[in-house]
Formats: sequence, structure tokens, C-alpha cells
Amino acid sequence: MELPTFKVSELIAVINQTLEYAYPSVMVEGEVASFKVSKGKYVFFDLKDDDGVIGCFLMVYQLRHPLEDGMKVRLLAQPRLTSWGKFSLTVREVLPMGEGSIKRSFDLLKAKLDKEGLFDPLRKRTLPQVPHHIGLIASVESAGYADFLKILDSRWGGVQVEVADVQVQGVGAAEQIIRAIDHFNQQADVPQVLVIVRGGGSAEDLAVFNDEGLVRAIAASRVPTLVGVGHEVDTSLADLAADMRAATPSNAAQLLVPDRGALIAELTQREHRLFERIDRRLEVMRHLVDDTPQIMVARFDAAVVEHKRRLNHAIRELKHLDPKVVLRRGYALVRHDNNLVKGAAKGIKIGDGLTITLARAILKAEVTHVEHKTEED
Amino acid sequence: MSSTKPKKTEATLQDQLSELDKLLAWFDQPDLDLDEALQKFDEGVKLTEAIKHRLATFENKVAILRKRFDQDSA
Repeated sequence: MELPTFKVSELIAVINQTLEYAYPSVMVEGEVASFKVSKGKYVFFDLKDDDGVIGCFLMVYQLRHPLEDGMKVRLLAQPRLTSWGKFSLTVREVLPMGEGSIKRSFDLLKAKLDKEGLFDPLRKRTLPQVPHHIGLIASVESAGYADFLKILDSRWGGVQVEVADVQVQGVGAAEQIIRAIDHFNQQADVPQVLVIVRGGGSAEDLAVFNDEGLVRAIAASRVPTLVGVGHEVDTSLADLAADMRAATPSNAAQLLVPDRGALIAELTQREHRLFERIDRRLEVMRHLVDDTPQIMVARFDAAVVEHKRRLNHAIRELKHLDPKVVLRRGYALVRHDNNLVKGAAKGIKIGDGLTITLARAILKAEVTHVEHKTEED
Repeated sequence: MSSTKPKKTEATLQDQLSELDKLLAWFDQPDLDLDEALQKFDEGVKLTEAIKHRLATFENKVAILRKRFDQDSA
């Protein structure tokens, strides 16, 4: 059997095709050695363990966690043979592993971003007091998601919650969260707050939230951000870049909305104040009513005195009008046939008999002369 | 439900709260007319009960986006 003959470049291509078929991507763990950045664009390092070494390559922008020689990492990569015949891994994503490496990478990135001012307190925006529309970035399968919604529901209502269901740990998670942040920032009806939550986990699980791209995306978000990741003790760079940091997903819900129970209690207080005020007003009225009998007696007494006064006055007036009093002053009443003779003495003729009543005598007289006077006399 | 509904509800809740504050402030003036006071009191009690009821019963609406974020669809 005759073996196929390849040109060198053809052989490299065939081997790469075979590799791609067998291992489209591999996850490899190891220690970083000979780390270097070339021309500010290309990253080269060796990944090694006690018995082997493989060269690795990636672009600077793909390096989301600072690396140093000696760090333990897990990386997602594609194995390939370079055109100069060297076997290498083209790295798609690299995550530090183990507490020491994670801590070291965290410190390096923190120092870098801090210098850029990403964590500056002056950059922090205040969240709306009571949001009615939020974008929630979480894994709907996670405990953190359930905790957040449970507390949100118990505290407040009327909030429209749009959920971007993303992976919150492992390779690819940071990228998914970044896409979700972009999605919310670009939608027509942007939410008032972006909430990113994830429950507790190992340092490696939470390393996603120290991804440089993710931290930058949070800092750059047009929509204010609230990040609640892990437990109280965990601090991630995502926390530091967010406008507001919550200790846990439950705490994020507490910070986001007021407590309806507290508000209801406050309303009850206000209701009591209303009752107090109306009571006070009614008390004034009650006093008025209680005092009324006394006021009425006093008024009645005053009225009696006034009536007495008016009565006496009237009696005095009437006394002046008594004919007897008038007669005593020297006037007389003249009658003819029992009719009083008044004014013009109409119908009185010479010879008529008259009865003249004085104060203390009655005289009978006869008319001997009649003379009518004009009004002026 | 339209997306503007929660906004409207929220505004109304705020309106109700400030309405209640106004009512309480009204009681602080001297020489209140009793009939008016009783009427305002009645309004105030009804309002607080309405707000409390709303607070106790209104619910959040959760919608999970259908968009997938595990691949670059941009």
C-alpha cells in the first residue's frame, strides 16, 4: 500500500483538521510559566505540570484575568499545530484556579482598574427609590435567583422584572452576563436598574465576577447596576464596579425596594394621627355642648331682666296716656248723647245738651254759641 | 399586560400617599369646620385603607427573556 505524500503545509492542515475533529475544544488545567505579552497584542505562556509542557497563545483582549508565572489556571482552548510545526493551544478563555492564584489575579486586576478609576465612589449613581422596571441577570436555576425573587415579592409589588437567564459560573459565563448587560442597555424600554445576582460558591465559581470584561461592562452600563454575589464575606470586582453593592442576592432585593410591611405600619400611624385630629376637634364641640345648659340659663335670665325693663317702660308710657291723668291736668271730656265731642264738634247746634266730665265733677251744660275755627287757630 | 401599567400603578400609589399627607396637613389649621373635618377624616381613613390594601396585594411580574445569551447572536 502506497502512503499518501503531503506537502509540509498540507500535512499541517490535515493534522489540524484531524485535531479539530477529535478535540474541537479542550479544557486543560496547569501552571503558568514563561508568561509574556508581545507587542501589547499577543499573549504567550507555557502551561505545565510535573511531567509536561504545552505552549499557549491568545490575544490580549481575551485575557480577562491577569496571569503571572506560577499561577494555576484552567483554560478552554483549541489544540493546533502552527505553520512552523509547533504544537500549541489557542486559548479561548482562561480562569485562575486555587485560592492563591485567584487572589493574586484579583489583586492585580483590582490595582489596574482602581488606577483607571473604575471603582471611584464619585462614579456611583443612586438607584431609583422605588423601581417599577428592573432587568435581572441570573441563572433561573440558581438559589440566588430564587432568594432574590422571594425577598422582592415579600417586600414589594408592582415591579416588572425582566430576567436574562445566564450561566453564572464557569467558562463562558462572563461573556453571557456581558451580553445580557448589553441587551438591557440596548432595548427600547430600558430598565431602571440592572440587578446581577448569584448565590454563594467556591472562589473558582465566583471568579467569573472578577472577569475584566464583565467588570468593565458593569462600570460602563448606562443603566445603574446593583450586584449581589456570593455571601457577605465575598467581594468581587463586579461588586466594586457596580453603582450599589449588595452582600447577597436577598440583600439586593432589600436594597432595591422598600418594605411594604414597614410602610403599612407607617400608614397605620398616619391613620392614628387622623383619629387624634378628629377627636381633638370633636372634643372642642363636646365642651361646647356640655356648657350649653349654663349658657342657656344665663341667656334666659338676661332675657327676663330685659323684658322686665321694657314692661316698666311701657307701664310708664301708658300712665301718661290715662284720660284720668289728663283730666287731672285740667282738661275735660265733652259728650253729646253719650258720644265724645271731638275737634270740629260736628253736628252740635245751639240748644244741644252736653255732659262735661272733669277730674272730679260732671257738669250738664247747654250750647249757647257755636263758632268753627280754622285749622291754624 | 402593557408595560406601562406598573408605572401607572406606582404613580397612583405615590399620588395617594401625597394626597394623604395633604389631608393630614389640612387638620393642622385652626378653627376647622366640623362638617368638613368629618368629611376629610372619612376620606383619610378610606384612603389609608385603600393604600394598605394595595400594598398588601400588589404583585411583581416576572418575565424570563426568550433570548439566549450563550452564543453571540449580535
